[in-house]
Amino acid sequence: MNEEHKPDKLTAQNVSVMFEKDDTSFLAVDDVSLTIQEGEFVVIVGPSGCGKTTFMNTFAGLVRPAKGKVYMDGEEIHGPSAERGVVFQQFALFPWKTVSENIAFGLKYRGIPKEQRDEIVKKYVQLIKLEGFEKSYPHELSGGMTQRVAIARVYANRPQVLLMDEPFGALDAQTRTIMQEDLSEMFLTEKRTVLFITHSVDEAIYLGDRVVIMTARPGKIKKIIPITRDNLIPDRRQMRYDDVVNLKEFLELKGDLWGLIKAEILEKHIL
Amino acid sequence: MAQKRNSMVSRRVTLAAVSMTAGIGVWFFLTSVARLIPPAFLPPPQNIVTDFFRILGSPYVGHTLVGHTLVSLQIVLGGFFSALLIGIPLGILMGWFKRIEAIVDPLFQLLRPIPPLAWIPISLLWFGIGMQSKIFVIWLSAFVPCVINSYTGIRLTEPLLVKAALGLGVKRQRDLLREVAIPSALPIILGGVRIGLGSAWMTLVAAELLASDAGLGYMMQMARRALEPSVIILGMLVIGILGALMARGLRALEKRVCPWVKEEEH
Amino acid sequence: MDHFVEKFGEKIYQEKIVLSISSVLGFLFLWYLITDLFGFMPAIVLPSPEKVFFTLYEKILVPVGEEKLLGHIGVSLVRILVGVGIALGLAIPLGVLIGWYEDLDSLASPIIEVLRPIPPIAWIPLAILWFGIGLGSKVFIIAIGVFFPTLINTYIGVKFVDPLLIKAAQALGAKDKDILWEVVVPASVPLIVAGVRIGVGLGMMCLVAAELVAASTGLGYLIMLGGDDLKPELSITGMILIGILGLIADRVILGIERRVIYWKKE
Repeated sequence: MNEEHKPDKLTAQNVSVMFEKDDTSFLAVDDVSLTIQEGEFVVIVGPSGCGKTTFMNTFAGLVRPAKGKVYMDGEEIHGPSAERGVVFQQFALFPWKTVSENIAFGLKYRGIPKEQRDEIVKKYVQLIKLEGFEKSYPHELSGGMTQRVAIARVYANRPQVLLMDEPFGALDAQTRTIMQEDLSEMFLTEKRTVLFITHSVDEAIYLGDRVVIMTARPGKIKKIIPITRDNLIPDRRQMRYDDVVNLKEFLELKGDLWGLIKAEILEKHIL
Repeated sequence: MAQKRNSMVSRRVTLAAVSMTAGIGVWFFLTSVARLIPPAFLPPPQNIVTDFFRILGSPYVGHTLVGHTLVSLQIVLGGFFSALLIGIPLGILMGWFKRIEAIVDPLFQLLRPIPPLAWIPISLLWFGIGMQSKIFVIWLSAFVPCVINSYTGIRLTEPLLVKAALGLGVKRQRDLLREVAIPSALPIILGGVRIGLGSAWMTLVAAELLASDAGLGYMMQMARRALEPSVIILGMLVIGILGALMARGLRALEKRVCPWVKEEEH
Repeated sequence: MDHFVEKFGEKIYQEKIVLSISSVLGFLFLWYLITDLFGFMPAIVLPSPEKVFFTLYEKILVPVGEEKLLGHIGVSLVRILVGVGIALGLAIPLGVLIGWYEDLDSLASPIIEVLRPIPPIAWIPLAILWFGIGLGSKVFIIAIGVFFPTLINTYIGVKFVDPLLIKAAQALGAKDKDILWEVVVPASVPLIVAGVRIGVGLGMMCLVAAELVAASTGLGYLIMLGGDDLKPELSITGMILIGILGLIADRVILGIERRVIYWKKE
């Protein structure tokens, strides 16, 4: 694998975040430092409630760290921005806009003229394989279709960074596999910097250049596994999901990761 | 299967027809044939039909049926539209800007429990017996639901959608309001408009019963004094039909303005 | 919308309270200014705040018309309670029956669909013709107002009960009538109570309307009298009392709702 030193895109420096719910507040993220390089696909896995979403939200600019700082391209992150697109687990499509209108939203807002917009929308509708549904409303689509539109909406806006929070969590197993393959394919053709959160170890190993394992709450980094750098699973991206998942290397890695996470769950009595 | 559906439908229709015929039949019997009910109390069904054509053609206490209807409609629509123009923006602003809510809400809550009808005598005192006093009360009755629903609609905006918009580059408060909150609230706002229209219509009738010299309510009052219940009933029917038409019109409008809303029963 | 400004949350809360209180005080002050201090509005048009307060106090002891203040409140209360009672006693059973038995639905629907769009207030002239100016006409109007929303909601609640529940009951061996009383009715209670809430709100409006148009006692009468006798303080007193009555009625029903629907999470 090429070892070109790519610039640091996202940096978290000793970030701690407090989370408030009702009357109590607790430490969700505890002194986490992480650097993500441009074009990298980093996946965060960890037990439920370990603060992964909260951590990602600091990069998204939706949450301010109580301690520490977050940077993009060396500049401190102060709030949300179109350069850091977010894909949510619950889709968050605008129900009053059609598929095309949803995808065009960011573009329209930035003043891109109609002809150009239509071209871009068309391209992404094709990319997510939803030709024919341009004028449909979200409530007419299935879960998988909706999530594809959510991803296209962010992708079309060409953010430099993609923050994806368990985007496939609400989908059934088969749709999920298809989406993972699609995302992998999209990542090959249009490389962006991606931070991806998931519960699923399979998904993490399949998609990620690096896998970050977080501890239970308060979240810290337990271990980082550099899959791509160390070429742990060769030719992973060119293969189909079902084939990758059965590779010997994959299973070994999965066993290791899962062991780490399971230890967290049992130790901290989360179950 | 289709056969079963057809027979169910025809059964329904038959029963409906039976009950309507029976109803009218009993009515006819009690009033015309057995004469158990005096015409001053409840007119026979045929009288209603003849009186319908009577007041359609020639004026009754000043206007024909159409004339009275137009007078009533004018006043209702006048008050109603001005209520929309002020109520909806106010509700939206109250829902979005907490400061505005803090200032307006307490006054609003104080005035809200008072039924708009109760304002009629004060309104008469302030504006006299002209159209203004009626329009004021009608405006009030449509104003309240518009404000409440607009406020609620905005408040119920899903934070998730706001976050999504933020992540797509929307920055200013007023853009968030325009791009996310208002479209999301539109169905609820239109619901409030519908309620407001019904309320306005009701208030109009009451206002006309109390102090008017034209209009459907006035027509009914005069008919009562003259012991002509058929005209009263005709007035009631016209009011009912107009109210239903307006509601249906609004629902059709809702469907066009908010094509994304799922259909619900009723 | 405080998406990520949690730190500001508290500051805004305090600011809100200050704004709210000042706006109410400002309103009262303005009212006082216009009437008392500068005499902009003659007392005939808008009485000063203290005048209203004193009227309230005075009329508890001195009768207005035939009753003292408490008497008027009592009369209105009786009318509302009787009207609501009759309406609920008819609407709920009827709603259950026509929701459950298709044939009854087909028979009753045409009559209901004709009568329903007619606003209860439009019935007033007919009611006065039939029942005179006594308790009967008021109760009739109120009952009509409460009847239809309750009937419709009960009907919908019963008719559109989750079929899954019915299948479950059948699979446990329950017969038709048992299912109706043991499963369907309890399942529809939320909707029924919602209908009652709407109905009672409507009933309050009908009370006011009926008492404005034709009554010699009651809160609506007071409001009317204030207008006739050029004593707006009387009207305002009546309006405030009606408002309070309405609020209490609504709270009571909310309380009942909470008690009856204890199994639903918030």
